[in-house]
Amino acid sequence: MLAKLEHVTKRYVKNEGLRDLSLDFPAGEVVGVLGLNGSGKSTLLKLLAGLLFPTSGTVTVFDGAPRSKRANIVFLGENDALWPWMTPSDAMKFMSNLYDDFDAARFTGLLDSLKVPLRKTKTMSRGERGRLRLAMALARNAKLYLLDEPLAGIDLISRESILSSIVQEWHTDETILLSTHEVAEAEGLFERAIYLREGRLALDVSAESLREGGKSVVDTFREVLA
Amino acid sequence: MKRFSTLIWLEHRRNWMWSLPLLGSLLFWAWGIKQVTVMDVGERLGIRAGLLAGAIAIGTLVLCIMIGRIRSETRNGQYQVLLMSPPAGYTHITARFTYAVGVGFAYYVAIGFLFWWVFALAGIHFDARSLVDLILAMPLYGMSVGVFPLLAYTLLLMVFVSAYRISGKGWIPGVVMLLGTPVVLQWIGNGMTRILWTLPSWRVFENVPAAVYEQFGQGEGYEFITSASELDYTGLPIEPMLLMLALTVVFLILAGRIWQEVEA
Amino acid sequence: MINDKGNWSIDMSAGPIFEQIAKNVHQMLARGALKPGDKLPSARDLAAKLNVNPNTIVHAYNELEAQNVIEKRRGLGTFVREDAPVTGMKKDMLHQAANAYADEGRQLDASIQEAITALKEVWDVG
Repeated sequence: MLAKLEHVTKRYVKNEGLRDLSLDFPAGEVVGVLGLNGSGKSTLLKLLAGLLFPTSGTVTVFDGAPRSKRANIVFLGENDALWPWMTPSDAMKFMSNLYDDFDAARFTGLLDSLKVPLRKTKTMSRGERGRLRLAMALARNAKLYLLDEPLAGIDLISRESILSSIVQEWHTDETILLSTHEVAEAEGLFERAIYLREGRLALDVSAESLREGGKSVVDTFREVLA
Repeated sequence: MKRFSTLIWLEHRRNWMWSLPLLGSLLFWAWGIKQVTVMDVGERLGIRAGLLAGAIAIGTLVLCIMIGRIRSETRNGQYQVLLMSPPAGYTHITARFTYAVGVGFAYYVAIGFLFWWVFALAGIHFDARSLVDLILAMPLYGMSVGVFPLLAYTLLLMVFVSAYRISGKGWIPGVVMLLGTPVVLQWIGNGMTRILWTLPSWRVFENVPAAVYEQFGQGEGYEFITSASELDYTGLPIEPMLLMLALTVVFLILAGRIWQEVEA
Repeated sequence: MINDKGNWSIDMSAGPIFEQIAKNVHQMLARGALKPGDKLPSARDLAAKLNVNPNTIVHAYNELEAQNVIEKRRGLGTFVREDAPVTGMKKDMLHQAANAYADEGRQLDASIQEAITALKEVWDVG
């Protein structure tokens, strides 16, 4: 197992983020993490990234504590931002000097295919910033990618371009967890769909098996979570 | 090393709006010194020394503000990016501290030079083993005793506050630390006076010129000068310096440790 | 959601994607958009174009290979077999369309003569 959660509960001050969640993630899977706002999607990804610690239960990534394995994990958060003065070339310097698995040539190629302007991030639109951060994420050769709402607030054309880049860059031994509200557009990528409701696992199923039954991942979303 | 130097680069890009103006302000202080045209030599020296004392205080404040700018990062999500980066918390902390100290060193050495100049303009010359000793020693001592621990403490305080941000009660440990500080400082101060000068002291200057006694010999706090009026100048006590350096290291280690444990 | 990229069309609610991909290939062969001997896009390229998982395309290609429609040539790629049963596919597709037409006709209580006449009227116009 690449990563696993065992009876993980994450309690925040006011409410429970996750309740008694147990999940296994083998290598080579592309997993959709789906749910309404507040269902625990971000919490799940952040626990796997080691940005949050469980209130109870254990999170194991690459047979160790997630934070200690951060050199092999890519976390693309919804809120994380770059410094406003940073340009893509600053970002390249940052990434290639701090990460051993960063592929600068691939980064440049992604900047091109994602049409990221070569300016300071404070002059970029939200979509352009999102695409820059995605380029930084996909240019790394990690084994676990945690993408938290990579399509949020991004225009349609960019979303398709982003999904296409993810497909292009994915290798069969890598595991990607992708949480999104744009389920309809992204569902083709998922082999497996995890539905969370109020911090609990509502459904964990193979996407194609859902379709065998004539239902898309989106249709099931409405059924399970409405 | 590549990682560390990249973090220093990051610090500079983040902070140049503070560090460069700070260094630039030296020109202002130098200009200010020239503007003092009081007739009496002693008074002139006093005003100029006062200006430089002000420059020291302001410099320390600016450096602390600069190093403590963690809040905006936690709000904007950049902290997450740093937490997920491979370098350890200690490395991040050390890089921030090193940058601030580097800027501070340039600043205080320049002020040290301005002090020497101000005294020279009043006709007072200090003797030291070399010019380097003369210009570097006092800033180094002053930084070790005052600036290093203050910077490390500010860093620790800000990291500490950020650590509890998630639970929403970040201000409580921060307030506790701030309120507890005077108590701790007093305890340290009392303990220190008892051990002063037990270790060999640091003879920064060969002697303190007689003219200095004449100007500043009256009043408390100048015991080290007046007691040396028998030309028995003992030098600067080394204990505060060692103690503060040790405290600095402790603060930095704590800050690095908390960084590793922070949620974001 | 229906994903339509030129000749390729996927409806997420209409059954497993790999089956739809295979069906698309049948359609393209039947309509002449693909010919025996043509090279198919690599699994990854097609996946990126359609925004689906590459493993799904691999699954589809495996299925088509089992049906003797395509073959993998080592080092060169995936190709439609020269002996791919195109006429059979064409016949199948026509039959499928005819079935749907016949169903509609039966529901309307039409005679076969009426159905053929309507077909003739429409055939050259459309």
